[in-house]
Amino acid sequence: MKPGRRSLWLLTAIVVLAVCAFAGSALAPGGSGDARPFAVSELAPRSAPNPLAGRLQKVYGTNTPADRYGTEIADLEDDGTNLAGEQISELSPLPPRAFTPPENEYRAYAERWISSALAGAASLRRALASTDRPAAIAAWESTWSDYLHLGAVYLTGAAATLNQAIDGTPGVLPGGTSDPHFVGLHRIEMGLWTGESLDSLIGYDMRLEGDLERLRGVVAHVQFTPLEYATRSHEIIEDAQRDLLSGMDVPWSGQGVLGTAAGVAATEEVFHTLEPLISGRENTEGEVRAELSMLSGVLKSISRHRHGGYPSLPELGSYEHEQLNGYVAGALSALEQMPGTLETEARPPIPKLPPPSLSEKAAERVAEQAAEGTS
Amino acid sequence: MSPLDRRQLLTRSAALLGAGATGAIAGAIAEAESHSSPAAPSAPEQALLALGDELAARIPFDGPHQAGILTPAQAQTTFVALDSIAPDRSTLEAALRNLSTRARSLTQGDTVGAEELDDPPPDSGILGPINAPDALTVTIAFGASLFDGRYGLQALRPRGLERMPNFAHDNLDPARSHGDLLLSVCAGQRDTVVHTVRELMRSVVGHLTPRWSIDGFQSTKRGPTPANHPRNLFAFRDGTANPDVNDARLMDELIWIPPARPLATPPIGAAATPAASRGSGEPSWASGGTYQVVRTIRMHVEFWDRVGMFEQQKMIGRDRVSGAPLGGTDEFQDPRYDLDPEGKRIPLIAHIRLANPRTPATAEQRILRRGYNFDRGLDEAGDLDQGLVFVAFNQDVQRQFATIQGRLEEEEMTDYITPVGGGYFFAPPGARGPGDWIGSGLFV
Repeated sequence: MKPGRRSLWLLTAIVVLAVCAFAGSALAPGGSGDARPFAVSELAPRSAPNPLAGRLQKVYGTNTPADRYGTEIADLEDDGTNLAGEQISELSPLPPRAFTPPENEYRAYAERWISSALAGAASLRRALASTDRPAAIAAWESTWSDYLHLGAVYLTGAAATLNQAIDGTPGVLPGGTSDPHFVGLHRIEMGLWTGESLDSLIGYDMRLEGDLERLRGVVAHVQFTPLEYATRSHEIIEDAQRDLLSGMDVPWSGQGVLGTAAGVAATEEVFHTLEPLISGRENTEGEVRAELSMLSGVLKSISRHRHGGYPSLPELGSYEHEQLNGYVAGALSALEQMPGTLETEARPPIPKLPPPSLSEKAAERVAEQAAEGTS
Repeated sequence: MSPLDRRQLLTRSAALLGAGATGAIAGAIAEAESHSSPAAPSAPEQALLALGDELAARIPFDGPHQAGILTPAQAQTTFVALDSIAPDRSTLEAALRNLSTRARSLTQGDTVGAEELDDPPPDSGILGPINAPDALTVTIAFGASLFDGRYGLQALRPRGLERMPNFAHDNLDPARSHGDLLLSVCAGQRDTVVHTVRELMRSVVGHLTPRWSIDGFQSTKRGPTPANHPRNLFAFRDGTANPDVNDARLMDELIWIPPARPLATPPIGAAATPAASRGSGEPSWASGGTYQVVRTIRMHVEFWDRVGMFEQQKMIGRDRVSGAPLGGTDEFQDPRYDLDPEGKRIPLIAHIRLANPRTPATAEQRILRRGYNFDRGLDEAGDLDQGLVFVAFNQDVQRQFATIQGRLEEEEMTDYITPVGGGYFFAPPGARGPGDWIGSGLFV
């Protein structure tokens, strides 16, 4: 045999013996000898010295010990509080001036809807004068819906007073439905749906036209703070859910769906004006757009099945009702992020109150004893 | 159940219900003993013993003031407003007497009597053969409408008793508001309240008819100390700044109509009116009574849940978890508005700051709150119809409750709540004994 071939045989024999030895040990029954139970720790390095030990003592930029970071500091930040006790956001505040273009755009939108409501009120007056109740009801629905499209006109000062006259409900008035200050759209609603003579409602409509005209002058100059405008983006539908879908504010006509649809349209306009500011800040834009789209979709579906109109709340099918309630709640869950996403200032920390005095602590002990029945 | 524990239960029951009822319980125990061995009480037996203690709690019906006012709020309640349909004054008087008699019997614990088999049972029997008192209180109060012209009671109307007005932001439903009478039925267990309402209605049927009612419950006290108050459905602790009901002098200043003292010189034209207490101007029969304000306040909890924690706390003025005033650490800490005149710590329109500014000038405006949560299921929008049955007792509605409510019109929380019902009522003084009844002063 040549020396090279001998070496090859030798190598092959060693490999075969090694394989047999390994297989034999693997296949042999265990439990003998000093075998120890297997443990993951067996595989872990005995110790892994921290190469940064002795160098990281404090959280960068603070006097906070580094060993607190993983627990207390992180917990605080999860709660939205920084080390100085300030309420913090992951977003940098927006400059208030960024809200000027959206508000201007919305103001122009609102003026268009007031004009439309005024035209509706004039139609309503004509229908009342001609004692045509179906036409009057249609004109009332149109006028009220147009008015609710204003939605985001933040109702303070003169606008609030006019809103009470135009869209106020009797519950807040001392005399209820008999109160002389119960005028406006809901007074006319009561008359139309309870069979009052149409002649008797003309005076209320004329008052309504005057109030809408005055509101047009107010809206042209109305000022919103950024917080008011951002808050309104979710409050319009909050109000619709609370007052309209519940039936609370429309006891005679039951037109809560019509009113909600107007509120959704107003919200879409506010959202549209604010989109440039929201874009890229967290995921608010995408979530709101998706939820509003679903809500609009169900409203369109409801309307499509009524040839373009909306049913009263009692006429709404049970599945339609569930869908509407559910999508309204879904939209609100997305819209609730709007004010936080549009924050314009970092909140200052809440000043600390001096610790409880000895007398307060003593009073608390007495209260505790009383609660325990020991004194 | 061990013999010792059985004796304990028997002793408690004897003290609780008298010999007749004890006989029934003794029978039940003998029955239990015949089926069990003398061993340590099982967990269900221990629970039964603990419940026995709760059911045994009895609050006197008679006294200078009615029970259910200073009484620590029991876990369960029902408020029932009634209107009188009694055709005349004497029928009304008889109905009120029946009401007190039945209420006294139920609050002190009684047994369900036997009747002829052909007769309807005198008691619905839903609590079994024994109506254990269960800390039951029945507080009877009158609305302003009882003093209209129907029964000739106009001159006896408590001076401050008016129909509750609509405050700003109210949306009162007439079907859930006002009434000639209000019964506040409070007890430890729900079935005790349900039984009591059923029996009381039965006692006045045909004379007093129900107008509206609402059920309520207390949140469980969950600490961290026994003194910490439970939370309302906005998750904030409620009742922290209530005046101390153990301070009799304070209660005289804030809650009770003072004793009548005859005027030295009756005012001109006062001959036809009953003697009035000096200063208060209240009719003498009202002394020892108090005004009860009830407001059914819907809380829009889904809307609230969509508000940031920071905003929630600013609206209330307290830390949601601890109940401490903002900036503080302890529920019972003084908010120290004097150190915060600009509202940097607690906003000037925060609820706690408007409700109780803690100044010498507003000290006499304090009220005693005794509210309950309510849960009425769902509304038409699929939202939870939940809220607070706000209940306040005070000596002078205008000086106290109405003044505070006027201040609260400014608070931001108004967007999240809607008062939908309730009314102003007057809770007369307590009955003097078994021969007396609530409201007897109106018929002397």
